[in-house]
Amino acid sequence: MIIDSRTMDSAEEESLLGQESEEENSELSDDELQEAFAKGLLKPGMNVLVDEPKKFVNNVEGMKHCLAELRKDLPWVERLDMTNLPAEDVFSNAEGNIPSVKNGVVDADDDFQREMLFYRQAQATVLDALPLLSKHGITTKRPDDYFAEMSKSDQQMQKIRKKLISKQLILEKSEKAKKLREQRKFGKKVQVEVIQKRQKEKKAMMTAVKKYQKGMTDKLDFLEGDQKKGKDSSSAAPQGANKAAAAAKKGSNSKRKYKDHRFGFGGKKSGKKWNTKESHNDVSSFRAKVANAKGSKGGKKGAKGGKQNKRPGKSVRKQIKSRS
Amino acid sequence: MSAFKRKRGRQTQADRKAKKAKLIADGGEAPVEADQEKNNEVTIPAPVSSGRWTNKERVLIFSSRGINFRTRHLMQDLRTLMPHAKADTKMDRKDKLFIVNEVCEIKNCNKCLFFEAKKKQDLYMWIANSPHGPSAKFLVQNIHTLAELKMTGNCLKGSRPLLSFDPKFDTEPHFALLKELFTQTFSTPRYHPKSQPFVDHVFTFAIADNRIWFRNYQIMEEDAALVEVGPRFVLNLIKIFQGSFGGPTLFENQDFLSPNMHRRQIRLAAAARVREKQMVKEMQKMKKNEAKEDVTKDVTADVFQTPTDETHVHIQMDAPEPKVAKKNKHKAFKRQRMARR
Repeated sequence: MIIDSRTMDSAEEESLLGQESEEENSELSDDELQEAFAKGLLKPGMNVLVDEPKKFVNNVEGMKHCLAELRKDLPWVERLDMTNLPAEDVFSNAEGNIPSVKNGVVDADDDFQREMLFYRQAQATVLDALPLLSKHGITTKRPDDYFAEMSKSDQQMQKIRKKLISKQLILEKSEKAKKLREQRKFGKKVQVEVIQKRQKEKKAMMTAVKKYQKGMTDKLDFLEGDQKKGKDSSSAAPQGANKAAAAAKKGSNSKRKYKDHRFGFGGKKSGKKWNTKESHNDVSSFRAKVANAKGSKGGKKGAKGGKQNKRPGKSVRKQIKSRS
Repeated sequence: MSAFKRKRGRQTQADRKAKKAKLIADGGEAPVEADQEKNNEVTIPAPVSSGRWTNKERVLIFSSRGINFRTRHLMQDLRTLMPHAKADTKMDRKDKLFIVNEVCEIKNCNKCLFFEAKKKQDLYMWIANSPHGPSAKFLVQNIHTLAELKMTGNCLKGSRPLLSFDPKFDTEPHFALLKELFTQTFSTPRYHPKSQPFVDHVFTFAIADNRIWFRNYQIMEEDAALVEVGPRFVLNLIKIFQGSFGGPTLFENQDFLSPNMHRRQIRLAAAARVREKQMVKEMQKMKKNEAKEDVTKDVTADVFQTPTDETHVHIQMDAPEPKVAKKNKHKAFKRQRMARR
């Protein structure tokens, strides 16, 4: 037999109250239980307390009756009510992603979608209702000079406007700051590039000048290099600019000439020997015969050769020096 | 725009109050001048009382004690939006609910919106058709009032609303009953003396997640560009009664979870989690203190044994000889050089 108990809400409570329920059962009193058993209501074995599932009232007949009583048959103009599905969502249809609303169930947790749904429902209503309203002579637009009290005071609207403006300002500021940062980074990049280019050019020029000074090349092409480049790059107009560049070069040349004339030739006087790449790689003064000759044929020749080629090391020279 | 401008064709508050008793009879007399004035404008809106106000619908909006500021503002907003609404003082909680019917009768109202706050947290709303009709109780959630700065729209005070219902309202009988109640309560009667002749906002009732969502939008353009104006709230149906604030229950919402039960569930869930953690810790402790058996045989002993030939292991006993460092490698050359000289 299932004994109905409405006090049980959860398993915990049941276990806690388990003992109590037994007491309650015993409160049901042994006599009553015996009577029930005698009547055949109680069967032998374990009798367990079980919840009767709660029945929810849904009195459809009663509700319909109530509705019929409540209904006032007013013309539509009085009520102004409409039932609409949400209007077509143009944007999402255009983008091609059909929202999950299509299957009729809207996710109440997705705020944006939900609000858009309500918005579109209102839109559909307005679109449907406008012709009906105009038929009854009710307008939705009020004339510009119709001043009447509004639900929200002017002060409130000012506050709202201020807030919107401030929001926009903040947005603009952040946009500007971002752009500036980007520009600065970009500007820095450009600056670095220009400096590097200049350094490269300077280096090339200096090496060309040194080459000329050392006498490796006797062409003054490096001076004209810019002019040529200038001519090639700039086609028509800046002939004058090229001429100006040439004049500037000649100007420095004349100055140089004057200084040379007064103070002699500039540059290193005794810069004959240089430890450059070229001098290092220059092995023209290496006589393989002499170098590899161990115990040469003629003593004199050998001695001379030895003396000439086999220069003793530093320590030996020192000893010799100290000896003699 | 100053806050108060003399309304064109509208009576001031004082005049209206004085003539309140006669308005029902008069209907068209008072704003006759309004007629003439408005006729001079380009667009002629229908004057408020060129017709008679026949649909005598009055709503009483009031609350019990113990409401918080949000509820109070919501009530005020509703009174602003509905010109056919009347206010009343707070009702004592000691009185039984059916006293509300008497209050309604005194105020000559046939609908009632009663807000009840419990535990200073939960807000319940009763909507009732006063003398005999049905009533419904809701739990109100997610209240946002007119004063919120995100609601940027504005509408005329007392203008008539369009009502927009979800088609789901026609599917179930309880929803149909609620729809009728809402329609009669929220729609402003035509030619109501406090109403404005324009229709410039729309109330939306939608059903989602088994709750009723209320929104209020202002109609900006004729092509249905809308801006949100008004208060917004969510109604969770509890019960529908046959009588006003009492009577047999017609419908009970199965999915309704009372806020107390909801809070209790959360607490129980938290408690269950804590208890589970404790149990896991205890189990770990027990495992640690268990008697452990000694492992004599190493199962992994022969893992690295590979089948190759055994190499003879040579162990160095003596130390290796020291290396002779050749200092002068060029001595040979030196001798040659000395010899040659």
